[in-house]
Amino acid sequence: MSRSTVIGTALGLLLGIALGLFIAWELDPLEYVDTAPASLRSDFKADLVSLIAAAYAGNGDLERAKARLALLPDMNTSGYLAALAQQRLAQDFPETETRALAQLASALGEGPAPASTSMTLPPPVTLSAAQPITPPSPTTFVTEIPPELALPNATPTPLSTETPEPSFGLISRVMICDPSLTDPLVQVQVHDSDGQPVPGLEILVIWDAGQDHFFTGLKPEIGPGYGDYTLARNVTYTFQLAGSDELVTGLMVESCIDEDSPPYLGSWLLTFKQPPPP
Amino acid sequence: MKIPVFRVLVGFILGLAASLAYGWLIQPVEYVDTAPASLRIDYRTDYVIMVAEAYAGDEDLQLAEVRLAALGPMAVTDIVAEAMTYAMEHQFVPADVENLNRLSVDLRTLAPTPEIGSP
Repeated sequence: MSRSTVIGTALGLLLGIALGLFIAWELDPLEYVDTAPASLRSDFKADLVSLIAAAYAGNGDLERAKARLALLPDMNTSGYLAALAQQRLAQDFPETETRALAQLASALGEGPAPASTSMTLPPPVTLSAAQPITPPSPTTFVTEIPPELALPNATPTPLSTETPEPSFGLISRVMICDPSLTDPLVQVQVHDSDGQPVPGLEILVIWDAGQDHFFTGLKPEIGPGYGDYTLARNVTYTFQLAGSDELVTGLMVESCIDEDSPPYLGSWLLTFKQPPPP
Repeated sequence: MKIPVFRVLVGFILGLAASLAYGWLIQPVEYVDTAPASLRIDYRTDYVIMVAEAYAGDEDLQLAEVRLAALGPMAVTDIVAEAMTYAMEHQFVPADVENLNRLSVDLRTLAPTPEIGSP
């Protein structure tokens, strides 16, 4: 092959590649059209998951929500939804979005949907027979409140996938001594009049220097009606179901002692229940 | 030195073919990190229906407008109209069309926002 042949072929190659790149980058650049949800950027996917939950809160159609979530592999588990709800709660996203995510996470968690392993959650609590150090008053432990006393003037509300009206009343306030809990918590369980757990309910937390809130249903592995809040030492808290007049006051971290272990910090379990229909 | 035109043409064709084969077969385009505006029309329509369903539940029109804005620079009323047209053409269930219609009507009560032009 002569030298001129090689040069001619190489020149042609360069021209062809140059023309191809000019067409691809300048004349007719690539446009993303007709894409599928799975190709969305991760933050857009998270927004879409949140929108699916909001739509579910609006229509209550779980099968439709599942079908929509199926378009987003790896983002359709109850664990992912609960984690996203917690993330958005911390980032001050609209409260309706957080509640909707919690409701959908709980709805998925109740069914045969696969459980997420991406979240580190505290184990379910168990009551122990350990005694608190101070104060020794028996009111520190279990205070059973008769439903007829705890729920005055309560109006029963039909429960659906939407947020029920806040007619729940406190039925028990229990101190928990569980050494497996690394942080002192206030754990809340909310049940409807049939004893079914209720997700998506907001709980207000108030103390002398500020306030915060959290929702039930953000940890569906523990229970759809479950929510918890980590307590700080030497702070006295008041808890309230959003929209309810009933306050749970005077909650603070107290110590527990076991015969076999050094003192540790205890937690509280608050149980709310909706009154039965008249 | 005389460069043969025939050789240049052969090289040109080979270069073009090689670059196209590389782009289409060896390393084809993968759609990743796309935006909602690029969704296919059926997915776009379902997106708008979800916004309408969410609006039916929370009645937050501003939030609905923000969600629709993710679908591109078109006016939000046009985005909903496009979805309604597709939904009716493909015989979506009446509840979907009703939700879209309600959202469309309510969006028209908002002050019109100018379309964002392309750069």
